[in-house]
Amino acid sequence: MYYIKVDELAFHYEKEPVLTNISFELNPGDFIMLTGENGAAKSTLIRNILGLLKPTTGQVSLSPKNCFGEKLMVGYVPQQVASFNVGFPSTVLELVQSGRYQRGKWFRKLNKEDKEQVRRALESVGMWDMRYKKVGELSGGQKQRISIARVFATDPDLFVLDEPTTGMDTKSREEFYKLLKHHSESHGKGILMVTHDHDELRKYCNKHIELIRKEGLPWRCFSMDSCKELSKPHLSFH
Amino acid sequence: MFLYGFMQRAFQASFIISLIAPMLGLFLILRRQSLMADTLAHVSLAGVALGLLISINPTWTNILMVIVIAILLEYMRMLYRTYSEVSIAILMSGGMALALFLISLNQGGTTLSINQFLFGSIVTISMQQVWILYLLAGIIVCLYLIFRKAMYVMIFDEETAFTAGLPIKTMSILFNVLTGITIAIIMPIVGALLVSAILILPAAISMRLSKSFSSTILIGIPITLTGMLSGLVTSYEYGTPPGATITLILVTVLAIITIFKRLAKVFKTDKSLYKKQT
Repeated sequence: MYYIKVDELAFHYEKEPVLTNISFELNPGDFIMLTGENGAAKSTLIRNILGLLKPTTGQVSLSPKNCFGEKLMVGYVPQQVASFNVGFPSTVLELVQSGRYQRGKWFRKLNKEDKEQVRRALESVGMWDMRYKKVGELSGGQKQRISIARVFATDPDLFVLDEPTTGMDTKSREEFYKLLKHHSESHGKGILMVTHDHDELRKYCNKHIELIRKEGLPWRCFSMDSCKELSKPHLSFH
Repeated sequence: MFLYGFMQRAFQASFIISLIAPMLGLFLILRRQSLMADTLAHVSLAGVALGLLISINPTWTNILMVIVIAILLEYMRMLYRTYSEVSIAILMSGGMALALFLISLNQGGTTLSINQFLFGSIVTISMQQVWILYLLAGIIVCLYLIFRKAMYVMIFDEETAFTAGLPIKTMSILFNVLTGITIAIIMPIVGALLVSAILILPAAISMRLSKSFSSTILIGIPITLTGMLSGLVTSYEYGTPPGATITLILVTVLAIITIFKRLAKVFKTDKSLYKKQT
């Protein structure tokens, strides 16, 4: 069973090809890091996978169900959130709570379990004490942390993270990677993460996709070498 | 003044507008569409001119026109995603040009009506308009209560909202249409030139005062009400246009709050520096 299946994907911005020949699968419990030089269309690939862009050729499928037969929940942390720059009038708590809405809470009140999940998510990134602060008053690193807390509050089956550790210190990054590894191994979450810290992340993830410029391709067009297996996941979820 | 029927209707209209303006205004600001209200008001004027030209109740041609433009705005926002203000500029000037063109085709007899729509008039508010406002407010409050969570997620970030499974395109169009209809209905009262100010200013003021999202809307209601009521009384006493008077009062409130907040910040910094030194 897969959560993400990419088959011979190619993507062109107008007529200019930027991605070609991309194929891989992400299964429950997989923690894949996606790397590549600056401008290697990593975010473009992510946006194709999430349906925000349409592949020019090839196919992307997201599984409609998770491994327990329920609706697949996707948690996405984009590289930049525009609202953060304009002093979004919201408290940290309100924002992180909004991560729970997609779990069938669009029209219902959050219950005890939801609130507990929000508390755990905020504690896991060390932001519980700042829950009543206005989002616009936070530093860049703190904003990044609450984006992560929000996705943890959602408790999705599939995490899609686009350079989520920008502005975080080494210790916080390590803790975050450990937490993700725990989620993939113990709870069967699928994780696809764009990063530049491949040396640091290597010991936590089990697969590596690198977007590279191959010979014979147009100058801005990237492809992938292979989906390298770094380790076998030690799955312990049921 | 309170014994006059037209003033009673104007006060009722003010109460209703105070309820809906902060809700729509906050979403407009956060979607970076503050000028959309202005665009729709300009286009509204074209709707009014069309109604007067073909001798149909201008309110209906107005509503029809803003619905079409609200949908077109969303399409153009997607087309000029990076420079979304381009769509606003094009439609605003296009709407104004169409209004002037239609007015010139219908010379004789329409100047007074057009002036009323341009600058607003409290004297002409009919009971029918007040009932329409009640209905509109009922719909907006219900929609807000039902969809506030989805709207919050959408205005925070449209891409994460999409991945969370929200139909963002449909929601955007419906929001634009609702804003357009609201503008078309309140325009004869406050005037096309300043209708956007009545929507945007209260939310802009309450954003400076509140920390949380829900309190921003709650604080916005008394702010709008204060501005609307004091504006109406001033307008009655001095014979000034109601839209302009209300806007000037709200701008003054915004200026006072900004100055006070600035002073409070300076005072706080000085106090903490003094504490450190001692």
